[in-house]
Amino acid sequence: MRSLTKVFRRGGRRTVAFSEVDLTIAPGEFVCLLGPSGCGKSTLLRVVAGVLTADEGSVVVAGRQVTGPAADRGMLFQRPMLFPWLTARDNVLFGPRAQRSRGMDERSDAELQLDADSILETVGLIEFADAYPHELSGGMQHRAAFARAVITRPSVLLMDEPFGALDAITRLRMQQFLLAMWEKYRLTILFVTHDIEESILLGDRVALMGGRPPGLTHVIDVPLGRPRDAESVDAAAVLATKRHIRSVLTH
Amino acid sequence: MTTTSLETRSPQAAVAAGAAEVWRDDTLDLASERRARRRASRRRFLTGAGGLVGLIIGWQIAAILLGDSVILPSVTETGQSLVHYFTHNYPSQSPPLWKDLLISLRRVLIGFAAGAGLGVGIGAAMFSSRTIRHLIDPVVEVVRPLPPLAFIPLFIVWFGIGELPKEVLIAFGVAPVMIVATLAALDDVPDDLQFAARTLGASKAYALWHVQIRAALPGIITGMRIAMGGSWGSIVAAEMLAATSGVGFVISQAGNYLDTALVFSGIILIAITELVLDTGLRALVWRADPSRRGARKD
Repeated sequence: MRSLTKVFRRGGRRTVAFSEVDLTIAPGEFVCLLGPSGCGKSTLLRVVAGVLTADEGSVVVAGRQVTGPAADRGMLFQRPMLFPWLTARDNVLFGPRAQRSRGMDERSDAELQLDADSILETVGLIEFADAYPHELSGGMQHRAAFARAVITRPSVLLMDEPFGALDAITRLRMQQFLLAMWEKYRLTILFVTHDIEESILLGDRVALMGGRPPGLTHVIDVPLGRPRDAESVDAAAVLATKRHIRSVLTH
Repeated sequence: MTTTSLETRSPQAAVAAGAAEVWRDDTLDLASERRARRRASRRRFLTGAGGLVGLIIGWQIAAILLGDSVILPSVTETGQSLVHYFTHNYPSQSPPLWKDLLISLRRVLIGFAAGAGLGVGIGAAMFSSRTIRHLIDPVVEVVRPLPPLAFIPLFIVWFGIGELPKEVLIAFGVAPVMIVATLAALDDVPDDLQFAARTLGASKAYALWHVQIRAALPGIITGMRIAMGGSWGSIVAAEMLAATSGVGFVISQAGNYLDTALVFSGIILIAITELVLDTGLRALVWRADPSRRGARKD
């Protein structure tokens, strides 16, 4: 299948957001990017997404060099960023419709709707397909945003602290939701977080960012099988990993 | 302890087993929430209508107590005058009121359309280019607080005494409001909303039109509501000072003849027209922004 390679260095005028980051993510892999605030992880994610450009180096996704944003790299943000004037279903349909307008998707609207409804069914929002974003709860909005991002079948899903603004309980639910969806859709995910436990719970590998100028310092394998649930992070096997990550991050 | 296995069954396993229901949120009943909001909006409408009825009753009582129809004509007298002159010529050379109303409405709508088009265009240009923004921003800030009425003599010198100076006057009042509203609305759209659209496969042009501009639409239309109110202030004043037709002219004439009932008729006519136009714009905002359909805002 596909393999992704990213190599870049990004020098701002004086502040270097991050430099010489090398990371390869295998198809179907779940990689967490962990680091303190301001270490450039969000910027890195946006470079991969193509909404920012790297000053040096390049990003390759599925054999193709990244030159700008495209649907092969889906992105989820801290806030759901749903379009408030569209219903949940129309939000999900935004990507396919946008692509159809450039001739990249030839399906009829009825076919697209069928596809959207099946994804809404999977994420448990089918009863709310006609609801507007402001009528949905926080968790539901995130699920709708997730559905909107995966309907275009991206090669990699980029997630920028997507659950950072949620309350603790909703957050736990969303983590379980994400793991289930990751397995169901065989997604490749690059997940930015500053929460050590979250990174261990979700990731196959955890990439640590830090240093000055910021860069990737360590990449750690998570010694946990699948499937995982909220208690998995309490297992004795991960204690050492947790300690290790904490000591690296705090020096 | 037999239930333990059920409780710890991971949601992943449940989904794998085909049970998408685990994610469902049973606490939210959309239909009943929408019903409740409709009920609340009906209640709000009735309360608002009650306020207007109260105003009219208060006016009628005050008029009866005063007993002087030059100072304050009663509601019934005003109503009669309004109905009569709406279709009959006023004693002086004027046409019936409905023609004056149409003349004023025409001036406002033409001036408003020109000013709004110009304002949205300039606002969008300022949004798209830093240089243009920095160039025009101080100009707008200087012009915006100026009362358009101060320019009436100037516009008459420049554009004569026909319809043009009045339309220019309206446009002149509307444009700065729309520039500020458009720029603010475009600025308020979060960058990530654009990014989201782009990572869903939207082209730059598609994201600009379907997201950036679409997201700014409610704010732009709200700007139009504010500008529309100002337009009527300008046109009536202009017609009182320098015109021989229009509702403002009728009001000023009626004042000269101490026909207070007709003055009130003109005012009521303007109020009704403004209400209709504003309701139309408000309906547009509602269409453009579903979250305003709730009972909390507006």
